[in-house]
Amino acid sequence: MTEPLPAWSEPFADPKRELRRSLRLRGVTRDWAWGGATGKGVRVGIIDSGLENDHPQLHGRVVENVTVELGDDGPTVVPDGQVDMFGHGTACGAIILGLAPEVELISIRVLGADLRGKGTAFAAGLEWAIDQGLEVCNLSLSSKSESLYPIFHDLADRAYFNGTALISAANNVPAPSYPSLFSSVLSVAAHGEPDPWRLYYNPSPPVEFGAWGVDVPIAWKDGGSTVATGNSFAAPHVAGLVALILSKHPGLSPFEVKAILASVADNPGRRRPRGRSRRAGSRA
Amino acid sequence: MANQETDAALAALVAAARRSAVGRRLQGDIETRLLQSIVDATVRLFDAEAASIALFEQNPDRLEFRVAAGEQGAGAVGLTVPPTQGIVGFVYSTGQALSLSDVANDPRFNRDAAEQTGYVPRSIAAAPLLDEHGTVGALQVLDKRGSPTFSLKDMELLGVFAGQATVAIAAARVQRDTDRLLRSVLGQIGPDLEDGQIQELVAAATRDLDVDDDAPFWRLVDQVARLRSLTDRETELLTDILDVVAAHAMRGRRGRSIR
Repeated sequence: MTEPLPAWSEPFADPKRELRRSLRLRGVTRDWAWGGATGKGVRVGIIDSGLENDHPQLHGRVVENVTVELGDDGPTVVPDGQVDMFGHGTACGAIILGLAPEVELISIRVLGADLRGKGTAFAAGLEWAIDQGLEVCNLSLSSKSESLYPIFHDLADRAYFNGTALISAANNVPAPSYPSLFSSVLSVAAHGEPDPWRLYYNPSPPVEFGAWGVDVPIAWKDGGSTVATGNSFAAPHVAGLVALILSKHPGLSPFEVKAILASVADNPGRRRPRGRSRRAGSRA
Repeated sequence: MANQETDAALAALVAAARRSAVGRRLQGDIETRLLQSIVDATVRLFDAEAASIALFEQNPDRLEFRVAAGEQGAGAVGLTVPPTQGIVGFVYSTGQALSLSDVANDPRFNRDAAEQTGYVPRSIAAAPLLDEHGTVGALQVLDKRGSPTFSLKDMELLGVFAGQATVAIAAARVQRDTDRLLRSVLGQIGPDLEDGQIQELVAAATRDLDVDDDAPFWRLVDQVARLRSLTDRETELLTDILDVVAAHAMRGRRGRSIR
């Protein structure tokens, strides 16, 4: 890729220059991390526009559809139809199944007719996912509402301590957005290498992981498909990898999962000490 | 005493409201002009077939395409779509920028777009207009001529233009919207005022504005707005005439007050 990328994605544009630092835990290889795993036994929540259960690319893996209703007494989570308002949730689900074909998908639809309460609905859907003890939750959407900041912060912490890995797409627009900026989630931006398994770890905030998000062939509404670009489509690639890890190593905490991902990332290794960098001598 | 103070405050509010309304009439629709310049720049920079901005409006909830540019853009102006549908609805609802290529293969999208604007794009990129309270609309670009898809760099640029549009909207709205202006000022100077009280004060101050476009005062304001195109000589002439009219009015007022 010759063009410069947006600030969020910039570190992933030239990994050789930007991402030399890499963690290599002895024995933690991709084969150890997820070799032979299919995602079996892992439940992945998709907080999004819904899931089209009968979409051919979802392979009948959707086990539950819920949505958030905003009543006078506050939001409640109720059963939902097998529908996707835009196609976006279905796209994310299909990307995850492409990596982890045997996960169970749970649709938590928070995009509905009542747009005024969408931030509240998002928070309520996230809380439900954590309370259900879902192992993985894909959040390819974000809130910019300052008033919801403390609520999302609290929920992200609860997820972290309860063992629900939240995979959160960084907003493509350079502005604060939650919960992707919290350290307790796995935040993801897009890189442009057309490989669903290509993963980068970025030790510099705000975005920790880079996955494929440029010109991704995706499932779309009404059984269709299209090609799309956005961090929205990078996040589910990481969600798929996390599901694989948790299916092979059940019970790992989000912290441990992050460490494994950092260890198996495609970051180039440290440079051999040579020339000026010799004194920096990477023996630490 | 308290009544006098209240009356004076209300009179000041009425004057402020009137001044704001006059300013709005003199300036024309500054928001639309600013947004138009942004989509014009977007279309040129992307070398795209069309660019447009849709803003969220209430009662009923909808996204209304306010401005458009490019050879294929004209059909979009005035179009409204439910905020729960389509690419622009998605970007508005989620606050996430998105680009799709190959959209012509999406039969539903294809049909809707063709019915509404007469143009079916091959690719589309859209970014949310985000202010401090949330999303107010979306900026979209259709079909870059040089490329079948939009790159991440394109998305970043689109985000920059969307940011500009948001600032333009916020600035123009405060100037344009007398109610909003008064509400925000009252909220700041009277933190103890309840929403209902603020609403009442604003309603009282703006009650007589905009009720009759043909009232002599508003006709005069509209005439003044048109005077911007006058030459220096014509302006001088007009000033002389206004001097005479003002002197006449003063004489008339003195005469009335004697009686």
